[in-house]
Amino acid sequence: MAAQLWWIVHKDLVSECRTWRVWPAMLLFGLVVAFVFGVQADLPPDQRPQIAGGLLWLAIFFAGMQAVDHSCGAEREEGCWDGLMLYPIGAAAIYLAKLAVNAIALAALECLLIPAFAALADVPLMSHPGAMLLVALLGNVGICAVGTLLSGLVAGVRHGGSLLVLIVLPLVIPVVLAAAEATRLAAEGQLGPEWWRWVHLLAAFAAIFVTAGATLFDFVIRD
Amino acid sequence: MSDRTIAVQASRLTKVFGSRVVLREVDLEAAEGEIVVLTGANGAGKTTLLRCLASLTRPTSGDVRWFGRPAGAEPAARRLVGMVPHQSCIYPHLTVRENVVFAARMQGLREAGRRADEWIAAAGLRPYAHRLATHLSRGMRQRVALARALVHDPPIVLMDEPFAGLDAEAAAWLVDLLAEFRGRSRVVCLATHDPDMTQGLTGRVFHLQSGRIEPPEPRRVVATGHNPGESLAA
Repeated sequence: MAAQLWWIVHKDLVSECRTWRVWPAMLLFGLVVAFVFGVQADLPPDQRPQIAGGLLWLAIFFAGMQAVDHSCGAEREEGCWDGLMLYPIGAAAIYLAKLAVNAIALAALECLLIPAFAALADVPLMSHPGAMLLVALLGNVGICAVGTLLSGLVAGVRHGGSLLVLIVLPLVIPVVLAAAEATRLAAEGQLGPEWWRWVHLLAAFAAIFVTAGATLFDFVIRD
Repeated sequence: MSDRTIAVQASRLTKVFGSRVVLREVDLEAAEGEIVVLTGANGAGKTTLLRCLASLTRPTSGDVRWFGRPAGAEPAARRLVGMVPHQSCIYPHLTVRENVVFAARMQGLREAGRRADEWIAAAGLRPYAHRLATHLSRGMRQRVALARALVHDPPIVLMDEPFAGLDAEAAAWLVDLLAEFRGRSRVVCLATHDPDMTQGLTGRVFHLQSGRIEPPEPRRVVATGHNPGESLAA
């Protein structure tokens, strides 16, 4: 199963590298948010991390939803979803492959956005790179786990992309909140028990959402 | 047919979408080495029946079995089926070869590249092997769809309007291929609104009308000859 999972990821990445249909718009959106925040936010340095964490994760969410929507939506072109369902792999494997593709897209976005926010908004997001990496990883998986499951649901719906944001956002509010708080604490250098509580919360959400997604994906995508 | 293994069996298959009944208690059996042609007007239920036979669509009631086992119950069992759906199922931004190799790899085939190359050659696609699928004509895409679906040599072949977009040469190749499948004990179920395309094949014709096979019994064993429904020796 691991090999087939990898071939789905490979196929999606090759397609994206040839077309650049989603990633440029996603990265541009994130950068614009970082730029506007950097230019407009006239806050004292000690208050900036409080705003930057929330804005960073909202930017990651809204920009990332474009990639998440495309991951399953693209399979509906030419009926490819049917082809995928006919291969001897479980729906959970397809879900995990799509989750991996989306996580890679969001990781690329985070690689650009976190330094951009740090530079443009003058927030020390990179002062504890290990802590920031852990928060980014867990937040990424939490958002992608819900997004991938629901993108399978709306893939066959007209204007499913805008619908996807509406139905995913309420479900990932805990993830965005926890990631924003953990980011703020990391930027302020407070990596104590409170930071760990938010990280544990992120880890719990990621585990729950990935398990639920892998279990429910078959029901979501079949007629 | 009694001495041959039943490869595909649909029992009292009913499918309802909302308030619309698309299939009404359809019974269908196809044995190894048999070609079954589903005919009927647009909306008669041919595609839905094929999708149920492929386990792509869950029937509202009734069941489908492949070689006596519930269809698609285990993912590994899907290796038994190769399906050419109405749409091509090929990725427009992969090349022809990448599409077929991807299918072979997903089927878990060893030497996926070699198997893909064999099918690419058989389908007359060698000159187009490294061309992006999005740049192909409808007929060429259909050839890729056939290669993609058949690369793992499945014992059950399901095809929805397989002749759509094919030129005379490719259609003749497909008819020869189906005849070869029959000789190798493969079972083929194909849906078409134009039975004339299947001339030269020997098999049974089921006519679907408003979600029912009409007439339900007896099902005549016919060759799909020059005249649709013409009775010939099987």
